[in-house]
Formats: sequence, C-alpha cells, structure tokens
Amino acid sequence: MSEAEVDGKPASIEEATECAAAILSRARLPVIAGLGTDIAGIRGSIALAERLHGAYDHMHSARIFSDLDVLRQFGLMFTTPNEARLRADVLLCVGPDLTRVWPQLFERLAPGELPVFDLAQQKRKIVWIAPEPGLGEIAGVPVVPIEAPDLVTTLGGLRARVAERPVALDDAITQKLDAAADILRKARFGVAVWGGAALDKLSVEMLQGLVLDLNKTTRFTGLALGAESNAAGAVQASGWMTGFPMRTSFGRGYPDHDTWRFDATRLVESGEADAALWVSAYEAETPSWTRHVPLVALVPAEAHFAQPPAVRIDIGRPAVDHDGVDYSREAAAIVARKASHPSNKASVAAVLLRIAQQIGGAL
Amino acid sequence: MLVLLKGGRIVDPVHQRDEVGDIWIEESRIVAAPQGRQPDVTYDVSGKIVMAGAIDIHSHIAGGNVNTARLLLPELHRGHSPRSPALPLATGRWSTFETGCTYATMGFTTVVEPAVAPHQALQGHLELADVPILDKGALTILGNDDFLLGLLRDNENQAAITDYVASTLAATNGLGLKVINPGGATAFKYNARSFGLDDVVPFYGVTSRRIIEALQQAIMDLHVPHPLHLHCNNLGLPGNVETALATIEAARGKPLHFAHIQFYAYGSEGDLGFSSGAAELAAAINAHPNVTVDVGQAMFGQTVTISSDVLRQFNGVSTAKPRKSVIFDGDANGGGIVPYLYRETDVVNAIQWACGLELFLLVDDPWRVFFTTDHPNGAPFTTYPNLFALIMSRQARAEAVARQPQDAVALTTLSSIDREYTLNEIAIMTRASPAKLLGLTDRGHLAPGGLADIAVYTPDADIAKMFRAAHLVFKDGEVVVRDGRVTHYRWGKTLKVKPGYDPAIDRRLTGYYEQHYGLSHNMFAVPDHVLPHAEPFQEVACSR
Repeated sequence: MSEAEVDGKPASIEEATECAAAILSRARLPVIAGLGTDIAGIRGSIALAERLHGAYDHMHSARIFSDLDVLRQFGLMFTTPNEARLRADVLLCVGPDLTRVWPQLFERLAPGELPVFDLAQQKRKIVWIAPEPGLGEIAGVPVVPIEAPDLVTTLGGLRARVAERPVALDDAITQKLDAAADILRKARFGVAVWGGAALDKLSVEMLQGLVLDLNKTTRFTGLALGAESNAAGAVQASGWMTGFPMRTSFGRGYPDHDTWRFDATRLVESGEADAALWVSAYEAETPSWTRHVPLVALVPAEAHFAQPPAVRIDIGRPAVDHDGVDYSREAAAIVARKASHPSNKASVAAVLLRIAQQIGGAL
Repeated sequence: MLVLLKGGRIVDPVHQRDEVGDIWIEESRIVAAPQGRQPDVTYDVSGKIVMAGAIDIHSHIAGGNVNTARLLLPELHRGHSPRSPALPLATGRWSTFETGCTYATMGFTTVVEPAVAPHQALQGHLELADVPILDKGALTILGNDDFLLGLLRDNENQAAITDYVASTLAATNGLGLKVINPGGATAFKYNARSFGLDDVVPFYGVTSRRIIEALQQAIMDLHVPHPLHLHCNNLGLPGNVETALATIEAARGKPLHFAHIQFYAYGSEGDLGFSSGAAELAAAINAHPNVTVDVGQAMFGQTVTISSDVLRQFNGVSTAKPRKSVIFDGDANGGGIVPYLYRETDVVNAIQWACGLELFLLVDDPWRVFFTTDHPNGAPFTTYPNLFALIMSRQARAEAVARQPQDAVALTTLSSIDREYTLNEIAIMTRASPAKLLGLTDRGHLAPGGLADIAVYTPDADIAKMFRAAHLVFKDGEVVVRDGRVTHYRWGKTLKVKPGYDPAIDRRLTGYYEQHYGLSHNMFAVPDHVLPHAEPFQEVACSR
C-alpha cells in the first residue's frame, strides 16, 4: 500500500483521496499542475480537471511553448532521431546545452557513422551555433563552431548569408557565417538540432525560417529536443482530448486555452487558483510557486516540501514501478514501457481514479 | 432485453428490402420476430426510415498527424458550448470525444482511420480508444519504409514481403494496408519534387508501380478482406487523371481500392490548364470491376489538409490558408499539415467540387464508389449531410452550380447529369458496401444475426436536415442517440485483422531495428492492456 499523509500525518489512501477530493471539489478554480506522469495519468488529470471546472498545466510548459507557439504561428519542419541518425549528412546544432537536455543525443544520432541512407556516403559535417564548451569534435567529426552572444542575430545573419543577402556584421563573423552557409547549402539532408533554455520563440522561428529557405534548393529539416517529464506526451494527449495543449481551463465548461492565463504558477501566485493538485511521477519535483494554496501532491517518496502539503500521496514511477506509456524522445513516438522494478506503489492514474470516484466518477 | 422498432421503412439493400416492417433487437443483435414474446421496449418508428448504422471507410480522425493539425490551428476550433455532465469533453471541439458524438448523431457507427504509421500506431490507438460510441479501424501505412524498399531493391521473394506486411499489420493492429504516394515520400528525402507511377526511388531503384504490385499481392496472399488502399502519385496536380488511369491499368485486374479519387480526376484544359477529367476516370472505373474508389469530395469552406503524402503537402505549402504549415519527415512517410480554404468563387476549387460530384454520379455501381470527403482534406465530415443532399437532388446541385464561376462549370460535365441517388443507393454506398469491402459480415445490413447498429431517420424535404441528426441510433443494441442528441458514452471496439505469417520475419526485424535504429522493434508494439478500456479489439477474419 502506498504511503499517504494528511496535514503531515500518516493516513490511509482512502482518507487521503477523500480529503483530496474534498479540497479540490470545494475550490472555485483548482489547478492541476506538474503533470509529470504517463499518458494514463495525463488522461486522468484532464478528465478530473474537466469535472472540477479547473485548469491544467505542465511543469515544462515554458520550454514546450517556445516550439509549439512557433508551430502554430509560423509552421514547422521536423524529423525524427531515426532519420537524423540514418540520413543526415549535415547537423546544425543550436544552443549551448543540448547534451545537458539530452545526454544521449550524440550516441543516438551517431554522427561518427556514415549515414546509411545517404547516396554519397560521405563523412558527416557538424556546424554548432552557440556551441557547448569543450566539444571540438564529436565521435571524430570536427565541430565548426559559431559563437553567438546574441543567438537570434547570429541565426538571422546565417539565414541572410544562406540567401546571399548582405549583413552588417564584422568581417570575421561574416566569413564564419559564409563558411557555415556553404556547408548548409551543400547538405543533401541536413538536420537542425535545437533545444534548451537559450532558445526563445524568435530564435526558433528564425531557425525554422532558415530551414524553409534551404528547402528551396535542397532538403533540410529540424529536430527539437523538447522537455522532460513526458511534456510531449502531455501535449499529445491534451491535443486529442481537448483540441488544445496544456494551459487549458474548463472554467467556462468547455476547454479554453490561454498560455498566460492558465500558467499554473501565475494562477496560484495571483490567487486565482484556490487549490492545486501537483503531479510529478518522473522526478521528485515540487511546485515553483511561493504563495500558500491548499495542495494535494502526488509525488515519489523522495520529494521534499518545505511545508507539508494538505494531502500527500506517494506514487510509483512509470516504467519503473508500473508499466507506463509515454513519449519517447529516442523514438519520437508514444511508446509502452514495461515496469523495470515492479512494485505495489500506486500509479498516478489509479490515485486520480479514486479521487474522481469521490466526486461522481471518472471518464 | 427485447426491443421492437415498429413500423418503419426498412432500407436494407443486402436483403433487397425496402418496405415497411419491424426490426427486433435482443442484446447486441438483430433477431427474428420471436414467437409468443412481448417486447420489453417498443419504439414506434412509423413514418421513419430505418437503415443499418453507417460506415465511413476513410476519415482522418486519429493519430499523430491529426493531432498536429489540432495543435497547428487552435483558432479554428474554439469552444462555445457548456459541458454536458453525461458527455465529458464532448464540447471540446475537434476532440476525439466530439468526433465520436458528431458521427453518432448522423447515424454512423463504424469509422476507419486510414493512415496510421507503424511507429505511431500506439498513439493512433490511444486516440481511437478515446472516440466514444463508434467502432473504429485503422489502416496501416507501408510503402515508403526502408525495410520494404530494401526487400524490393534486393529482389527478395514475395513471401518475405507478404510476411513483413502481415507482421506489421499484427503489430499495429491494422484492419488493412494503405500505401501513400508509393516511394514518393522517400524520394522527397532525396530532394525529388515530383514523383510518378514509373519514377524510380533513389537509393532503391524501384518504381511506384513495383511497390503497389508487391503490396497488392501481399494483401491478396494474406486474404485480408480489404484490398490494398492506395493513395496515388501526383495527387492534386493538373492533368493527373492520366496517372489515375495508368494506375487502374497497373492493378492488372486485381482488387485495388483508390482513396479520395476526386483528387486525381483533373485534366489540363481551359485557361488555367485545370479541368475536370472525372468523366473519363468514371468510365475507366466502370470498365474495371476489380477497382473500388472513395470520392474524397471537396466542399466549400475552411479546412485543413492532413496527409502522409509529404511530397505533395510540401508542394502545397504556398497555398496554405491560414499561412502556416507543418512538414514532418517521419521515419517512413511522415506527413504534412496544410490548412486550406475551398472557395466557391475560385475556378480551381469549383472544378474540384464538381469533379467529386461527377464521380459520384457517373460511376454506375454504388457498390464500388464510397462516400467520403477524405475528412478533413476535401471537407470536414460534418459536411456529409449537405453532400447527401447534393447527390440525392439535382435541384440542390443546380442551385449550387448557379453560384459558381461559369467558366469553371463549363470545364466539367456536371450540368448535364440528371442522376439522383435513391435511399437504397445511399444505403448501399454508406452501409452495405463498406461492410463488404472491409469484410465486416456482422454489420451493414438489418437481417437477424447482424449487429444491432441501426440508424432511424425522420424523412424531410430538406435532405441535409434528415441526415444531420438521426431520430434514433442504436449501437450494439443500445440507444445512443435520441432526437439528434447523444444520450451517453459507450466504448466501441477497434476492428483489426490478424493474418498468419512465418515468424522468421520478426527475428529479422529485431535485428534490423537494432542495427539501423539502435532500438528494439518491440518498442513500437501496441499492447492491449495499456489502452484505457478492456478488450479494445475485435478481430476480423482473413478469408474470402
């Protein structure tokens, strides 16, 4: 049986879910936040938010929306790690923290191997804008570095040089950009890899503009690294369940999406949300807000709170304690994973089901 | 529970019935009139029309590309209706929940998602599982994947190809096989910008024709009921009727289904070099009884095109409205999402609209032409009621034609066609014949033993009104729609085939995935137990 606490004192799971249901159902606008859970947990969270007329958000929304807002305002070209691994003859890496975001990135893309599907079978090339320090080469492939104190300006300069337009930059920088532009234009199937904290929407849009321009004469596409805690899975499940990504509210009954209004942290800090359900099954993350709000937390045993939540229920990790379905960065798909260390720790979905049953049933 | 539908006009082309009569239902099935028993519930349906539940063989309702379209276009589906406590999430417009409810309201009880990429199969099935009420099916896509193209390049025998198809159908829980611009998506990765039936895929040295032939043979060898489901080359291009005609010949008299054929029915006459080739295409379809087609009718209004024909979608990016698109170079086909506005005042759009109607009206045999808009590519499925009106009423067509550019009308034969579909022909096209095409012997008719999937309509001079909101809909014998409103959720099955094959191919695939992708082949499986409802699948037998 899972460990549970009410007001910092041990409680049965029945008491804890009953108390959670009472806190959430009495709120005017409860918010379900964190949302670090498998597809079943996300599905349960969204169904519960709908029933409660509440809002939901994911802990990594900010990083997700830097890509998703570009997708829905400008459009996007992208591919999978499989294609990048087997086909890309040129990698254009962007951002100084790619391997921090995805430590297995270059193991997965295997740039040291010849691209299997490439007709020319030539050694790959890597250009890196705002490179990670100390990565002069990757698996024997030299990195062509372009320092970028101002990322969007550098990307804009590169895009201009690819299109053979003049730029008002230092000669030394322009020469570097020209050399990179030459590599990009000669790519047969280039892949721009981006991710991490350095890229805002403007940078992502500029990079995608560059990708579009390159496709006038050759093939080029993108690979976004996304975020952890099944953020991409949350985008997908939210998409088919409501039509919108997270940062959606059911306050009006129907799903209403607004990335500013339904930012969970803002909702709590402003006092608009008067109760919160925090879900973090992958990592022992806790909410970033500072204001006190009646809190129900579904977290692993290691999670530490400065103040004990009103209700805390320890849950298992997807694909560790129980089978789970989530978005796999390596496969670029939603996949099912078996429990590596099956235990009797409850899944988020199972706990949410018990809470939902207290207030009229689940989906 | 014994249920009686009393005194309705029963339209069941499978049993040549069009007469006033009764239908009895016990549990999930239609039963013969029981001797000496009283019904527990009687519905007086006198004056109403009683048909089997409708079946849509080609509608993009689930999967990664559909979801990308949802995310691309939040402005097109803002909500406005309050929630219904009995129908959670159904007021989320374009949600899977709304999709199931809207289809059911129109009397549809089975819908097939026609484009599930093998690596995205689990997501496809998760989405289908969240479509309430309906039974569903998924067509699995092959034909631009390296493994198949490699088998063809290396001249491996047909048995290996057939085993690979069977293994993929089994792993993805597919109801049939779809091929989309065969070889074209792969050629695009080698920077091809057009790809025809006899063009050669770089790196592999095989033609589109060869890919079609191999997959068509595999489906026949496996006795999968639904023939290979083909999305041809050169979709959307002026003069592409030549491609369609050549592809009909390429079927060599063997079963082949042509999806959304309206999009390949274009000639190159007229000032814009764009005209209707539908009459010629319909004649070829009439002359080739091995061929079935669905229309993919275009209807005027805002929509979004969702296709795994990434080459065609890339070429369409400049026509996007609103001006934003997604192009996905996926593991095999990938996909493209391009929003589009069909305008009644636009000559090309008006010709496309007319082409679809010509095909409906000039293909003689309603058993071989299927009712689709290729949702949402030609139009959203919510336009179906209006489309029924157009094919059932020449007056409705004449009124629509009068609003259109007359130079467009002149480039089609539509004004010369008087045909009006009868209710019996509608029942063939939307019930009897889809069940036959997909091998679903338990539905599409109203005889005892059949699944009690039944739609009851109130006749109306306004044909669209009649089909928009059914009076009653039964799914598996249970009322799910009353007076045009869904009453509650129930969860249908996803239909799939499970052809037998030599498992040696699975060992080979395991090695291939390790070597190429560095991933486990098993990673892309769709285990039943991770889907939200118990026993999510129903098997359709492979035999003919």
